[in-house]
Amino acid sequence: MRAATLKRHIDLHAWVGILAGLALFVAFFAGALNMFHHELHHWQEPAHEAGAPDANMQALLDTVLANHPEAGNWMFLIPGDDPSAIWQEQVDGKPVWHTEHAADFNDAGENVAVAGSGLSEFVNELHYELALPKVGIHLMGIVSVLYGAALIGGLVIHWSRLRKEFFALKHQGNLRRYWKNLHNLVGVLSYPFHVIFAWTGAAMCCLALLTLVMSGLVFGPQFQSAFTDATEAWPAPQASGNAVAMAGVDRYLARAEQTLPELEVGWIELQQYGDENAVVDVGGSVHGNVGHYAHVVMRGDDAALLTTTGPGNRTLNDAFLTPVYSLHFGDYGGLLVRVLYFVLALLGCLLFFSGNILWCERRTDRQGPSRAAAVMLRLTLGVTFGVVAGLAVSFLVSKPMLHSPWSAWTAPAEKIAFLITLLIALAAAFRAPPLATARLWPTLCAVLYMAAPLVQGAWEGFATWRETDILLVNGSLWAVAAGLLLVERLRVRRQRRAAPHPLWTGTVRSAAPAPAGADPDPA
Amino acid sequence: MRGLLGTVLGLPLAMMLCGLLAAAVPVDWRQWLVPLMLLSLVIWAAVIVLAGLARRPWRLGAGLLAANGLAWLLLQTTPLYGGA
Repeated sequence: MRAATLKRHIDLHAWVGILAGLALFVAFFAGALNMFHHELHHWQEPAHEAGAPDANMQALLDTVLANHPEAGNWMFLIPGDDPSAIWQEQVDGKPVWHTEHAADFNDAGENVAVAGSGLSEFVNELHYELALPKVGIHLMGIVSVLYGAALIGGLVIHWSRLRKEFFALKHQGNLRRYWKNLHNLVGVLSYPFHVIFAWTGAAMCCLALLTLVMSGLVFGPQFQSAFTDATEAWPAPQASGNAVAMAGVDRYLARAEQTLPELEVGWIELQQYGDENAVVDVGGSVHGNVGHYAHVVMRGDDAALLTTTGPGNRTLNDAFLTPVYSLHFGDYGGLLVRVLYFVLALLGCLLFFSGNILWCERRTDRQGPSRAAAVMLRLTLGVTFGVVAGLAVSFLVSKPMLHSPWSAWTAPAEKIAFLITLLIALAAAFRAPPLATARLWPTLCAVLYMAAPLVQGAWEGFATWRETDILLVNGSLWAVAAGLLLVERLRVRRQRRAAPHPLWTGTVRSAAPAPAGADPDPA
Repeated sequence: MRGLLGTVLGLPLAMMLCGLLAAAVPVDWRQWLVPLMLLSLVIWAAVIVLAGLARRPWRLGAGLLAANGLAWLLLQTTPLYGGA
């Protein structure tokens, strides 16, 4: 490849990375914790309320319908120790989703739930929309496509020297060379997984954008119905207005077991429940397949089978759509794959962090000290450490709030704690020299992540640590702490051997144009 | 600038190129709509990469606009938009 073409590829890779890097860092860090989303749901509940042994889904369904008759139009029932009902209602013409758990109701069917922690929802929102309602998901869609472009560029840049760079992480040369080698090594090792994350993430987040452009420019008004047919297990039924008796949850589950014995039920979707056109979709997983989602669709009134979709019995559209979700969520291979995704997501954070630092140092080396590089370095440090520390503080705040008289304010308090920590980290990053930030914050963040499980244990009893879900979440928090301590150790060791890049010691104001020819690292 | 042009003008171009592919392949597009949409994302990312290689942004912008116009005109010769 010609040197000029290669240089343009490197420039594009760097610019796209710098534009998308911080958003990707937030998404990947929250995504790493989100690998234990269901466990986090359990972790965030008060220990004494976990589980409702006599709860069943039919009782929950009847209670919810008695309180909200409109809920039967579109509802999901989620089985478990404490089954939940998630339904959509129209409020002022806008669809609004509600969730109730079986434990939220007393024996008289009255809702006695008190608003509690929202940690798992918050981590999930940070992951897929940066906790920015409405615009965040579209932003992340575009970021995912840019990420895909950076991956294509990265492959072009590194293809010819792949083997050499695989063994290039050495403590020699200056600090920039080290960041570069680390960035390349992590990128090369986890490349296939990054392709998966970028593609599936873009597919999920860009759905609305693609639908808009494809229907507007290419397929016209026929697109929406074709898209619905291609992506849904059964078309949404219209209510006839004739109320009939429903078969009930037990018969739906029995029909699903009879039709697809290997199905592990994950949810029951009800549409127009109570109407003669009601349709019920018992969905879940058939394990041992990457595309493991399966559906048994039946009539609501007599549980007569309408269709079955699962491994070995899919349309071409479904065969491509199902792996998009399972490959992104990493839920196709049990705990081992989820732990692997957790590690890869943390390595991804290191990739974006090192990429941004490389850009700042490369720009300084080539063009002399610049305000843009100084600001970008501080922004990178402030956002990354702010998000990492902010989430830890959310975890720390959660339990003391939940067991206080102000437990109803737990979810807002978790978000406020995150925001305040992020703002403090940003202010500190812009106030102190970057080297001081890099010295303080990794250790501080590690201490916060080590403390979060201790606070949980102190409030709810250390015996709860023996529960698998609690152990997994606490283990993931300690793993983050261990990762941060490892990064800190590498930084200390590295700094003993080489002087820091001038960019790390100066201030933003001191970032003035340097004398021509200053290039500490021509590589 | 190149990346921005590639991102903004690459989206409709990628979708229309996929539409042309759907018109060229003798299989009903409804049967492979999901693979088509997944492919459109790859094409969009590839257009951004190619846009980044352009020497001058104004040439790139003109080229992408022309490519969009041409793809749109070609799409009008297919029965896709509003077709049965």
